[in-house]
Amino acid sequence: MSAISELSKLKTRRARTPEERAAARKEAGRDNKAGYLFLLPWLVGLFAFTLGPMLASLYLSLTDYNLIQTPEFIGLDNYARMLEDARLHKSLQVTFTYVVVGVPAQLALALAIALLLDKGMRGLAFYRSVFYLPSMLGGSVAIALLWRQIFGTGGLVNQVLQLLGIDATTGYVSDPDYALWTLILLHVWTFGSPMVIFLAGLRQIPGMYYEAAALDGANKRKQFVRITLPLLSPIIFFNLVLQLIGAFQSFTQAFIVSNGTGGPSDSTLFYTLYLYDRGWANFQMGYASAMAWLLLVIIGIFTAVNFFAAKYWVFYDD
Amino acid sequence: MTEPTTTERATEPMTEDAADEPMRAPGASRSGSVGRSLLKHVLLIAASLAMIYPLVWMLVSSLRPTEVIFRTPGLWLNELYVDNYIYGWTALARPFDWYIVNSGIVVLGAIAGNLIACSLAAYAFARLRFRLKTLWFAIMLMTIMLPYHVVVVPQYILFNNLDMVNTFLPLVLPKFLATDAFFVFLMVQFIRGIPTELDEAARIDGAGHVRIFGQVLIPLMIPALATTAIFTFIWTWSDFFTSLIYLTSPDMYTVPIALRSFLDATSGSNWGAMFAMSIVSLVPMFLAFLFGQKYLVKGIATTGGK
Amino acid sequence: MGTSRRQFLTLASMGAVGAGLGLAGCSRGGDDGGGNGAGGGDAGGGGGDGTALTFTWWGNPVRNENTSALLSAYQEANPEVSIEEQPGEWASYWDRLATQTAGGTAPDVIQMDMAYISEYGARGALLDLAEHGIDVSKFVEGTADSGDLEGQTFGVNAGINTPTVMVRKDILDELGIEMPDDTTWTWDDWLALGTEISEASGGEVVGTSTFISNDAMFSGWLRQQGKELFVSGNQPGFAVEDVVTWLEFHQQFADAGAIPTASEITEDSSVAFDQGAFIVGNTAMNVYWSNQLQAVAEASGGDIAMLRFPSIDGDATTRKAWYKASMLWSVSATTENPEAAVELINWIVNSPDAGAIELAERGIPANTEVAESISADLSENQQRVLQFINDIVPELGDTPIAPPPGGGQFGTLLFRYATDMLFGNIDAAGAAQGFYDELVASLGG
Repeated sequence: MSAISELSKLKTRRARTPEERAAARKEAGRDNKAGYLFLLPWLVGLFAFTLGPMLASLYLSLTDYNLIQTPEFIGLDNYARMLEDARLHKSLQVTFTYVVVGVPAQLALALAIALLLDKGMRGLAFYRSVFYLPSMLGGSVAIALLWRQIFGTGGLVNQVLQLLGIDATTGYVSDPDYALWTLILLHVWTFGSPMVIFLAGLRQIPGMYYEAAALDGANKRKQFVRITLPLLSPIIFFNLVLQLIGAFQSFTQAFIVSNGTGGPSDSTLFYTLYLYDRGWANFQMGYASAMAWLLLVIIGIFTAVNFFAAKYWVFYDD
Repeated sequence: MTEPTTTERATEPMTEDAADEPMRAPGASRSGSVGRSLLKHVLLIAASLAMIYPLVWMLVSSLRPTEVIFRTPGLWLNELYVDNYIYGWTALARPFDWYIVNSGIVVLGAIAGNLIACSLAAYAFARLRFRLKTLWFAIMLMTIMLPYHVVVVPQYILFNNLDMVNTFLPLVLPKFLATDAFFVFLMVQFIRGIPTELDEAARIDGAGHVRIFGQVLIPLMIPALATTAIFTFIWTWSDFFTSLIYLTSPDMYTVPIALRSFLDATSGSNWGAMFAMSIVSLVPMFLAFLFGQKYLVKGIATTGGK
Repeated sequence: MGTSRRQFLTLASMGAVGAGLGLAGCSRGGDDGGGNGAGGGDAGGGGGDGTALTFTWWGNPVRNENTSALLSAYQEANPEVSIEEQPGEWASYWDRLATQTAGGTAPDVIQMDMAYISEYGARGALLDLAEHGIDVSKFVEGTADSGDLEGQTFGVNAGINTPTVMVRKDILDELGIEMPDDTTWTWDDWLALGTEISEASGGEVVGTSTFISNDAMFSGWLRQQGKELFVSGNQPGFAVEDVVTWLEFHQQFADAGAIPTASEITEDSSVAFDQGAFIVGNTAMNVYWSNQLQAVAEASGGDIAMLRFPSIDGDATTRKAWYKASMLWSVSATTENPEAAVELINWIVNSPDAGAIELAERGIPANTEVAESISADLSENQQRVLQFINDIVPELGDTPIAPPPGGGQFGTLLFRYATDMLFGNIDAAGAAQGFYDELVASLGG
């Protein structure tokens, strides 16, 4: 209770004159030294461990590099080659489908379940843990086995369909028409991470806002639209941006389910899977680096659009 | 804030919202929703089954001899075959707990690093105004946009020159330097969700940045910090590739590498042992989540006092 | 600003935590010395004036234990040598090796595969073993030059392998189908037998797993026509038309129901060894390497017959069989102790002591004396393999050259186009052309 009274106390202080606010802002404008001090570990890490390898890969993208011999500078040849590479185009198509369908579906499910679990009900800790389980298993070898047990020719899905009298013999993981969709399903199924982040975000919304709204006679729907959504919007935004970045780079699950081939018929050839295939299996690290930088540009554009759009729907209290 | 839309139906069962939440509004619980609550539980339990199926399947498989794992459908066990656990624990160069301890060292180091370094950077990005901030923030996001597979080699050469290969340092040291931009961004978003009145009030009371950060914001960030700790635990615990590249001697192996040693693509793999030790290695992850998620339900309402 | 000092302290303490962890990390398991010699790689050779070698291989727990015992025995006999072990698992082994090679820290002794030897050898990452005194004088004919590349020896045979067709005898017996005579059977007999099995079992068991993208079978079939998979100069040794014929032949299998559906084939290609369609009894025939017999027999639990692959003429002596190295021993070009590394390999492949520990775990030893000395200790299946290896001597052709850089992806590449054809997305001619073009483009790196 002390926190709430503290908050209410603070609320009363909100009535500051515009001059006070301006002064506060101006003071906040002189944080250079503190800013860089707080940022120092990150800056050291950036220059010591992150930026160097990134720039190295940018340079390698301009070379013919087989991991063993010294890279040979070839200018933009790798980038020119990408224009002609049909498999690369196929991998972009696969990846876009995955991102466009998988990300919104996973986020919607994560948010819905988080809202459902964000209350004091019996067995809450149990449900939360159980819903997070798939994310714990997500990258393990066992998942590949399991996915075939479920979506294989004689898998669980077909067994259930056969019980219902449907003659189902499709191997969903190995049929070019379905394989990608099973991976999208796998992605949606591991919704635990965004769910946890949503839960944490919901927890941070001060209860007094709801109390105030309830006193004003706002119903649940209104409370959700007027309080929950706007106050959660920075977190929704975060999940959207990061899940998008993550989905574009999705690798592990496709790798283990197709055994690294991206098959059948390249139907699950994710961009990073193809990148890995070029760089590591075919010793074309120069080309792989060029692919990586193309992906960075694509993701960068998507992210920038998101940040731009955020001005219209993400609510910050600062 | 968003304009309330009056066309909404008044009795939208969308969420039984915060008012039902005992912690937020004690005594506000409504009766008469027993049926709905029951329905909700039925749905949740059904969904839970879909979530828990793989675990059950793994558990069952870990209790079957390897030869029959893929030939026996269903989840029914006729006998408990615990030899997988005994063999799995002892088959490698060291008993399995050795690898658990290795993973434990890496995980604890990574958690400490991420909590400290990422929250410092997040405070700077979220609350302080300094030159080139936007540029640095953009660069930070860029660092997570480049696929990992092309920076592995340059990074390996770097750590090799620092003489850190075959130590835990390449797995832990970068975390103390906030290289996990995911968590920096996460905490930035959380801090921006905390009303600025709180730190402005503290500032008027004469607090400096360290005090605002340490005494005002950190307690309010508990859910974000817990999220960071949980994710770092689980992601580091299951990270295969980094361990593979940097930890070359069997004595340094972490759990994921040890698990892979049961597999062999060209002849028989010991699936039974692999499943058994996978179950064993899930226990710390599950406990970490169970412990950590408690802090997800302790928000502003119970902390943030003094 | 009063914050800076505290800030500094925070940072300093962070650094201390980090360093502490690092130190804890360095010492983990490093100094329990003993005969094992694992760990403590940074110590610079431990004993001071001794020779330190790093040694890497892929395998499962059984091979890992074997290899550790092998290396311990060597170190006991040669106390001046200390060996750091770097075991791995096949799928990830190559990622680590590539990274280490790129970083100039490749292990001294490397277990190598035929698919990768050119990638590393032709690019100067491996040592010419012949120049440093490798001894293959006692090797059986056709195995001494397994790892040769343009006159240099980049690897030495670690165990003999030869491609075989394995058949579930128990299933054929059950269906009342006679086993084929593998000294006279032809490729068409394979098709006929496969069709017969599928029909007799009513689809319960499919005749054969497909070998449409199996480079060993394609190679054998080519060799019987006087062609090769690869010829020197980073070129394929066959023409597009050969691929068309090959693919059309396999389309007949598909049309006759002698192989599984395209979808099942795809599924089969991505499952682990012991979940394969043949292992679980869904197909009655499949291509395996001879040294997999033990594993196949154990995993399938069936009665496995090991047959010669067929010939075009119906005469096994014209089938142009060959010995393939199941794996090879190579030495990194950047090793500081080339002599010590080669000496270790010499001991592993030529010493009966080493043979007694290894037995046939990596395949039948190429050194005939070692093979003889261990024959009594081999398991029943391994004895069968040894017998088979000896029996086919009259059927051997020249040893094929190692696949050139990029050639290691042959099977993966052909599989992609072949399944595309089996799915009905492309005809044999189109698939063959696409495959051939992509192969030629990728050869030679």
